[in-house]
Amino acid sequence: MLELLKYIRGYLRIRVSGFSPERFMNLCSNKGILLWNIVREGDVYYMNVNLKGFWSLKPIVKKSGTRVAILEKYGLPFFIPKLFKRKVFVGGLLLAVAFWIWSSFYIWDIELAGNYQITEDVFQSFLENSQVTVGMRKDALDIGQLEKEIRRQFAQITWTSVKLSGTRLHIDIKENDAPITIETKKETDGTDLISDYEGTIVSMIVRSGVPKVTIGDTVEAGAVLVEGKVPIYNDDSTLRGYFYVDADADIVLEHTRSFAESLPFDYIKKEYTGREKTNYYLRVGSSEWGFADKKPFLVYDSVIRESRPLILEKLSIPIYWGSNTNREYQNVEHEYTLKEAQELLKEKLVLFLTSLEEKGVQIIEKDVKIDTDSSSWVISGEFLVQEPVGVVQETVRADQVDK
Amino acid sequence: MLVESLKLPKDICMGALKVTMTGCHEAWIENYRGILEYTEGLILLQAKTCQVAFEGTGLSIDYYTNEDMKISGCITCVRYQA
Repeated sequence: MLELLKYIRGYLRIRVSGFSPERFMNLCSNKGILLWNIVREGDVYYMNVNLKGFWSLKPIVKKSGTRVAILEKYGLPFFIPKLFKRKVFVGGLLLAVAFWIWSSFYIWDIELAGNYQITEDVFQSFLENSQVTVGMRKDALDIGQLEKEIRRQFAQITWTSVKLSGTRLHIDIKENDAPITIETKKETDGTDLISDYEGTIVSMIVRSGVPKVTIGDTVEAGAVLVEGKVPIYNDDSTLRGYFYVDADADIVLEHTRSFAESLPFDYIKKEYTGREKTNYYLRVGSSEWGFADKKPFLVYDSVIRESRPLILEKLSIPIYWGSNTNREYQNVEHEYTLKEAQELLKEKLVLFLTSLEEKGVQIIEKDVKIDTDSSSWVISGEFLVQEPVGVVQETVRADQVDK
Repeated sequence: MLVESLKLPKDICMGALKVTMTGCHEAWIENYRGILEYTEGLILLQAKTCQVAFEGTGLSIDYYTNEDMKISGCITCVRYQA
């Protein structure tokens, strides 16, 4: 630390000779001039003195009758003027600083955070359409406008924050994680609930509307279960008019669902031959340089590994390098064994059953078999299920009937 | 007596020379007046009440200020002269 301080302030190696160098040293110490690395060789003394002290040596030299000669100069006060004599170096330095300042007027990196449903590709293409790209000038960007545009374009984004830090554009978004509710009209023309399937009603709870069927009834697909047209009677039991409501009810229907899936006997599997070719490349922005073969193998797939050193990432410089490995493979035909086919078909069945469960369907009976036809394995099943039903349909109004 | 009863440091009150040595190669000296003689084999210092001679070979002064100094080299003898 002390050495560094000495270097910054600058110091000299001097040679002191003459009548009384000891007196010279004593006078220096009395005046507060620091001397160090004092060595005597014969009648001559060598020592270091700092630059500031050197300028006040003149009276001491006179008084002590010594002679002082400068041997070496060290430190920044001597180094910098020497540096400025190198014109090409100074020019390069100025150019580098100018380039650095110039490049800080541009956006070199765009970072997106907080997206779950919206993929980066989708957002990237939105930004491109809005003329927000890597390499654009900072002053061409209207942050407020961009925030508004993001909220306008993506309905599920509830909050956005766009900020520029250095040459990096941070876009923070928050998506709406609560389900989007559709506001219903208060004044309604009335809706009915109709049956999705043919079957028998096993349970029915009506909250609004007029039930048209009862538990135990067998209904056709499309039959009205609950009507949204509520009749209003006069005191003498004559019909006065209708009041229209949105029919609302929990109705469970028991019916048969069928399921069928097939699996071809043979399938094509990728088999890697083990032959690989790796090419390296350098990418700056969207331009890429490298030695890539146009078609290295007849059939192949590629694995691209791309990286950017941390320093470039921190400085938001869009320079990447990576490798592209092309792996040759052959398409080989295989046949499923009975066990494999059974497992794959069962997986499909489980998927179907899970989707039923998600809809709140209860399975009462099931009958599943695996068979073969001319070219494939077939799984088919019949399920007796109890399932919530009710499709909303507009009520046929009384005046429409009259017409 | 007063200095001893109050337990004051003697180097400050009486202007006594203070020498700190690490082995025989380094010595730190405080409370001196100045250098009387400096050769490779002898460094003679003037203190308030006495003179001190550091004898040895290859003696050099690492730094020299008004407050303290450091001598390095091979010190063979430290001699006080009234």
